Amino acid sequence: MPRDPVIHSSQPSAADSPFDVADEVDDAALAAVMRRVPLGAGVLAGAAVALLVLGYLLIYALVFIPRGTVG
Amino acid sequence: MSERQPEMHERRILGTELLWAFGVGVLIAATLSVIVFTALTMGINPPSNVERVDPKARHLSGEFAEHNLGTSVAADGSVTTRVIATQFMFVPRCIAVPQGRPVTLRFAAPDVIHGILITGTNVNTMVVPGFVAQVHTQFTRSGDLLMPCHEYCGLGHSEMWATVQVLPEGAFRPDRNGRVSCAQR
Repeated sequence: MPRDPVIHSSQPSAADSPFDVADEVDDAALAAVMRRVPLGAGVLAGAAVALLVLGYLLIYALVFIPRGTVG
Repeated sequence: MSERQPEMHERRILGTELLWAFGVGVLIAATLSVIVFTALTMGINPPSNVERVDPKARHLSGEFAEHNLGTSVAADGSVTTRVIATQFMFVPRCIAVPQGRPVTLRFAAPDVIHGILITGTNVNTMVVPGFVAQVHTQFTRSGDLLMPCHEYCGLGHSEMWATVQVLPEGAFRPDRNGRVSCAQR
């Protein structure tokens, strides 16, 4: 049987440990970071899709087309 | 954070999404254009042939009777190869085709769904019982090519393969009935 997940008052809270508490976030710093994040995500996703399309075009031009007609 | 910032942030996300959607639309249009262009200019299409055949009686008479299997050259010079795909073999196990000439490959299955591909070419189709699978192609290089079943059809699936012998024009000689068999080596 699992133990009853009741938290007793004597039990230490996670907030007692400085390692388990999130740092305070400055609103202005957060806003500045959030302005840059979409650009990084766009560059990463764009590069991934560009590589995928490049691979498709290379296989199409160098493998599929030379194999000749079919239909 | 001021009250206007979340609204600006939302607008920026929407702009990024619209830009991304536009980019994806361009990519899809480009891919479809490449497919349509090669279909129109080079004759490369997915095989699409809807033709029914009775799988219970196809061995008794007609096109896929045993004596008519393999490669035959018609009076007009067109080359047609007829193959039965069955658990767990192709009949015939070796088919001879000419190099550099249009060939029509026709397949029928009496039992379960099979599939074929010919290595090093774009020939690739399913063989569904009740239908004739047909592929038009032209083999550019001579030599022996492997033609395995590529649709799992039962315990012997891995043993189901045939050889396609692509013969140069001089070696592709029909007999007086217009039939061509694999060269014995």
